[in-house]
Amino acid sequence: MTRALALLLCALAAAAAAGCGSSGGDRLTVFAAASLADVLPQVDPAPGYEFAGSDQLATQIREGAGADVYAAASPRYPAELFAEGLVEQPRVFATNRLVLIVPSGNPAGVRSVPDLAGPGVKLVIGAEGVPAGDYAREALAALGADAVLANVVSEEDDVRGIVSKVALGEADAGFVYTTDAKSVAGEVQVIELPPEAQPQIEYLIAVVKGSARHAAAEAFVQRVLGPGGRSALERDGFGLP
Amino acid sequence: MRRLFDTGLALVCGLALAFLVFPLLAIFLRVTPVELFSQLGNEAAVDALVVSLKTSLIAHAFVLGLGTPAAYLLANRRFRGRAVVVTLVELPLVLPPAVAGIALLAAFGRQGLLGGTLDAIGISIPFTQAAVVLAVLVVASPFYLRAAIAAFEAVDRNLLDASRTLGAGPFRTFLRVALPLAAGGLGAGSTLAFARGLGEFGATIMFAGSLQGRTQTLPLMIYAQLDQDFDVALAVGALLILVSLAVLLAAKFIPSWTSFTSIWLSRSERSISS
Repeated sequence: MTRALALLLCALAAAAAAGCGSSGGDRLTVFAAASLADVLPQVDPAPGYEFAGSDQLATQIREGAGADVYAAASPRYPAELFAEGLVEQPRVFATNRLVLIVPSGNPAGVRSVPDLAGPGVKLVIGAEGVPAGDYAREALAALGADAVLANVVSEEDDVRGIVSKVALGEADAGFVYTTDAKSVAGEVQVIELPPEAQPQIEYLIAVVKGSARHAAAEAFVQRVLGPGGRSALERDGFGLP
Repeated sequence: MRRLFDTGLALVCGLALAFLVFPLLAIFLRVTPVELFSQLGNEAAVDALVVSLKTSLIAHAFVLGLGTPAAYLLANRRFRGRAVVVTLVELPLVLPPAVAGIALLAAFGRQGLLGGTLDAIGISIPFTQAAVVLAVLVVASPFYLRAAIAAFEAVDRNLLDASRTLGAGPFRTFLRVALPLAAGGLGAGSTLAFARGLGEFGATIMFAGSLQGRTQTLPLMIYAQLDQDFDVALAVGALLILVSLAVLLAAKFIPSWTSFTSIWLSRSERSISS
């Protein structure tokens, strides 16, 4: 009788693990950069998406999260995961541009990057290692405007944190992708960067190795790379490779 | 049948315990004490520890200073709408911290209700340590208030009345009778609130942002390091477990300690009066 109870408990634990662990049965799981949150569901609404910082998603894949496809806002993390044998060959599917956004009304009167160094300007950028943050630092270095970094009031863990804090008007300016600026067009003004400061921003997509839904994952990648994906990406302001 | 029931209970209890302890243990199995110790030399970790302790202590001073009289009032006065007030006090206990964060923005943000007024007198709260303190206050104070109201309610009314009839004023009664008798419960609530404040994450990241040395607390640093350096995140996590454990142990021991001191206090009072 005791044994039956023990068995029952084990069965319960196993059932709980099985019920929660299999991440939604046959549904494809796509881990994608936060800046892709608007466009990918247009390309294919079917998969389950998780949008976060590309770096965070890479960590989750390393820790064994059940992703089938990984789409990143920088070549760095797909290359690392490829070298570690965790994803298949990554492919470039889109490009983007870094821009400066300010809340509509522009409370700090920011017109260009050097204005960001003005007293009391509240700048929000991505943390180091977050692609949007690394690109912003690259752009500032190219302009010789590192002094601007003294006005950073928050280092966000993904680009959505930057967009929301500027769109809410809590921060005076932030470096984001032009596609993010488009999604909150009514609440922010966009300031283009000079061409010499524009970093090369490439988005890469890869099938996660050992995916249980390999065929569906490959089909999804082809869809993003194909005409349907290309026109949706272009419509949302992405560049095409 | 009885034996069967006992065995079943023991099994379930063991299962629950294993589930709670195993993940915490896993952190310590992945972080060697050497790595943990070396994090004490990591500048970002030290900054985060300092920001965490500083903001938690400031918030805690407000929690105790304002919460104790408020709880005393709520415990001893019966008035219309008291139940509503007590429920409102407890509401943040069950609210997701993200709601607290967005509520703080709506109230004290630059575009918030008081934003214009604060701006006019030259105060801007978001992205400052004051914002971290406010976030901690909102999520941690209900833990103290709840425990303090219960502790004051448990004080025998007859003792308070006796104190008053023997000529002590209301303030003296509060200080010399109610406070020592409720000290055990107050201490336990205080440590719980402090521990909860130390772990505050959601409201902080929304309202105060995250900047090393200014607003990046230990939990925020774990989140930021998760994608940068998982080992650092683990080590900081281990550090936070140790700090929380210390706070919790203090909570367990303070009640027995304070009940001892309150007996001692009342004894010494008696010997003075005799």
